[in-house]
Amino acid sequence: MNVETVDLTRRLGRTQAVAGVTLSAEEGVLGLLGPNGAGKTSLLRMLATVIPPTSGRLRLLGRDPGDHAQRREIRRRLGYLPQSLGYYPGFTVVEFVEYFALLKEVPAERVPHAVAAAVERVGLGDKAKTKLRTLSGGMLRRVGIAQAIVNVPELLLLDEPTAGLDPEQRMAFRTLLRDLGQSATVVVSTHLVEDVGAACSRVALMDQGKIVFHGTPAELTTRGEGTDAAGDAQLERGYSAVLAEARS
Amino acid sequence: MTAVSATRERRLPLRPAGRLLRLELRRNAMIWMLPLVAALFWFVVYRRTVAYPPSWSLRVMSMQTSVVSVFVPTVVGAGAWVGSREGRHAMTGLLAGTARPRWMRQLAAWAATTSWVVVAYLVCVGVLYAVTASQVSWGGPLWWPAVVAAASVPAFSALGFAAGALRPSRFTAPLAAITAFLALEISAQFIHGAGSPWQISPLVAGPWNIGPNEGVATFYHYLPDLPIAQALFLAGLTAAVLGVLGLPAAAGGRWLRRSAAAVTAAGLLVAGTAVALAGTGRLDPHGLIAIPALHSAADDRPIDYTPVCSAAEIPVCLHPAYAAYLPDVAAALAPVLAEVAGLPFAPVRVDQAAATYHSATDNGIEVRLAGGLSGTPPVFHLVLPNQVPGPVMTTQEQAAAVRVDAGTAIVAGVVGAGRDADPAQQAIMLAIVGGSMSDPDPQVAAAASRFAALPAAERHAWLAAHVTALRAGQLTLAQLP
Repeated sequence: MNVETVDLTRRLGRTQAVAGVTLSAEEGVLGLLGPNGAGKTSLLRMLATVIPPTSGRLRLLGRDPGDHAQRREIRRRLGYLPQSLGYYPGFTVVEFVEYFALLKEVPAERVPHAVAAAVERVGLGDKAKTKLRTLSGGMLRRVGIAQAIVNVPELLLLDEPTAGLDPEQRMAFRTLLRDLGQSATVVVSTHLVEDVGAACSRVALMDQGKIVFHGTPAELTTRGEGTDAAGDAQLERGYSAVLAEARS
Repeated sequence: MTAVSATRERRLPLRPAGRLLRLELRRNAMIWMLPLVAALFWFVVYRRTVAYPPSWSLRVMSMQTSVVSVFVPTVVGAGAWVGSREGRHAMTGLLAGTARPRWMRQLAAWAATTSWVVVAYLVCVGVLYAVTASQVSWGGPLWWPAVVAAASVPAFSALGFAAGALRPSRFTAPLAAITAFLALEISAQFIHGAGSPWQISPLVAGPWNIGPNEGVATFYHYLPDLPIAQALFLAGLTAAVLGVLGLPAAAGGRWLRRSAAAVTAAGLLVAGTAVALAGTGRLDPHGLIAIPALHSAADDRPIDYTPVCSAAEIPVCLHPAYAAYLPDVAAALAPVLAEVAGLPFAPVRVDQAAATYHSATDNGIEVRLAGGLSGTPPVFHLVLPNQVPGPVMTTQEQAAAVRVDAGTAIVAGVVGAGRDADPAQQAIMLAIVGGSMSDPDPQVAAAASRFAALPAAERHAWLAAHVTALRAGQLTLAQLP
C-alpha cells in the first residue's frame, strides 16, 4: 500500500480536524470528497508530511514518516499541491519548478529535463520564461501542479487542484490525472463531484474528520439511487445520501 | 519537449547546491537595493572620505566607520526581507514537504543575499582604494579596516535573515534595519577607555573618542590587534546566528541539527573570546589599540622612511606621507629659521616626529607632542597639527598654526625660554615670531617692536653676540637694542 493510515487523528487547537481515519490507497486516483471543514486538507497535510498526526499510524510508500531518514525518502517521492499555492512573484515558471526540483533532490543531471517535462505537461511551455507575478490564477494553479509532478512522484497529493481552472483546462487536467494515476498514487481533495466522477478510480468521503464512505465512484452513485437526496447528478445524489446517512 | 528542454539540457549539470545558489542569486531582492547602496556609499562614505587629505590611515579608518553605518542597516534589511520570504509568500507549507533540509534552503538564500552585498561592497571600496592609491604620496593600502567592514556584511546579513525567518512579516525588514542602525550607534556610546569590550563594534577603527587620525600607521606600523578581534567576533557571530537557524526540529534531521548546534557553539565561543580579547586592549603609544594576546612586537618598530626636505640652511624634513605639506610648512617656518640660522643652540634641522598617546582620565586620551629641540647638534622635532586627532586643517591653516606654535618653540629653544621666560626672552620671541603671545606686557611689546624694527642682519648679529647671556637670563629689557 502506498498510503496506509490506521485510526489517524489530528487536533488543531481545540478542534479535532481528523478524528480517526483509517484509509489505504494503491496506485490510481483517489478522490477525497467532503464539505468544508470535513478535515480533507488536514488529512492531506499529514499525508504530505507537512504536519505530524496527533495519534494513529501512518505509513507512506511503505515507510514511516515519523523517522527523519524515511521521511526524507518519502518526500523525494512525493508531490504536493496545497489548497492555496504560495509562490515567489519574481521567479519565472521554469525557475519556480526548478527550485522545487532541487528541493526535492531530483538528481542534478536530471533537473533540466524534469523541469521541462513538468512544464510541458501542464501546458505552460510557451510561458516557461514568464514571471509568476504576471500569470493568471489558472496558470498559477498549473505551475503548482508542475512543481508537484517535477520529481515524477510515486505519491501525489493535490488539494483543490482544479480551483481557478477554466472548463478546457479542467478537462485537460482530468486527463493528466488519469495518466498520472497509471503509475502513482494520486489523492485529490476536491469539492467538485464531477472531477471525481471523471478522473478517480476510488473515492473517499469525509465528514467531521472521519471517512464516511470509501469505494468506487459507481458505488457512491449507487448509494444515492432510490433516495430523495439532493443533487443534479447521480454522483452528487450519492454524495448527499452518504452525508445525510452519516449525520443521522 | 520544446524549446524549454532543448535550452536547458544544453547546460552543464551543476551540483544542486550550486544550482540553488544560482537561482537565488538571479532572483535575490538585494539586486534591487544595489543602486540605493551605491548612492548611499557615494553620499555618505565616498564624498566624506575623499575630502580628507590623501592618507591611507585617515581615509581608510574613516571609511570603516562610515561604510559600516551605511552597509549594516541595508544588509540587515535585505537579509530580513529574504529571510521572511517564505512566510510572506505563504510558502511554508509547500516547502515543508520537500526533501532538502530547511537549513540548506535558508543558507542558499542567505548566501545569495550576502554575495550581492559583498560584491557591492568590494566595488565601492575598490573605487575608494583606487582613488586613494592614486593620490597618496607614501605607503601602501591598509587592508584591515576593509576586512572588518567586509566581515560585518555576512554577520549582519545573518542577523537580519534570522530576524526575518523567525518573525516573517513585511514590517520585519524595516524594523530590523532601524534596530541594527540604532544598536550599532548606541553600542559605541558604551566605550570607556581602551580596554572596553564594546570596541568590538565594527564601527570602531581606533581609539573611539579620537576619530580618524592621520598620524597613526605612518611612523609606526598599523596595529591589526583590534581589527583581528573584530573580524573574529563577526565571524563567530555569523556562525552562531546561522547555526541557530538550523536548531529547530523543522530545520532538518538529527545529524544536521547536531552540526548546527556545533556551529552555534563554536561561533559563540569565537565571538565571546573576541569580546574578551577586546576587553584587554590598551592604548598603544602610537595611537592605536594593542591587545596583548594578539600583539606582535614587530609592529612596535618604527617604519624606515626617507624624509623629504626643503632646501634651506636649516632644512625642514617631513615624512614622505606628508610631502604635500612641505612647501607650505617650510615657507611658514622660513622667517623664523632665517632669524636663528647659525646661532648657537639653533637647530641644524627640523624633523617631523610622531606624536605619542597616553590614556587620560574620564575616557580621555592625552596626545603628547614629543620632541621640541633636542640632541647634539640640536634638531627640532616637529609634530604637524594634522598628525594629531582633531579637525583636519587645510594646508594653509596648518601652515599658519606651524608658524606660530613650532616657530615659537624653535625660538624659545634657542633663547632658552622655558615656562617662566623672562621679559627679555619674551620680547625676542615676540619680535621674531610675532603675534605668538596673547596680551603681552606693554614694556615687552615695546621692546619687541624696537628689536623687530632693526634690520635683519643687525638683529642676527646682536643675537649671535648675546644669545648665551639671553639664555642665562642675564639681560633686561633695557639692554635690548
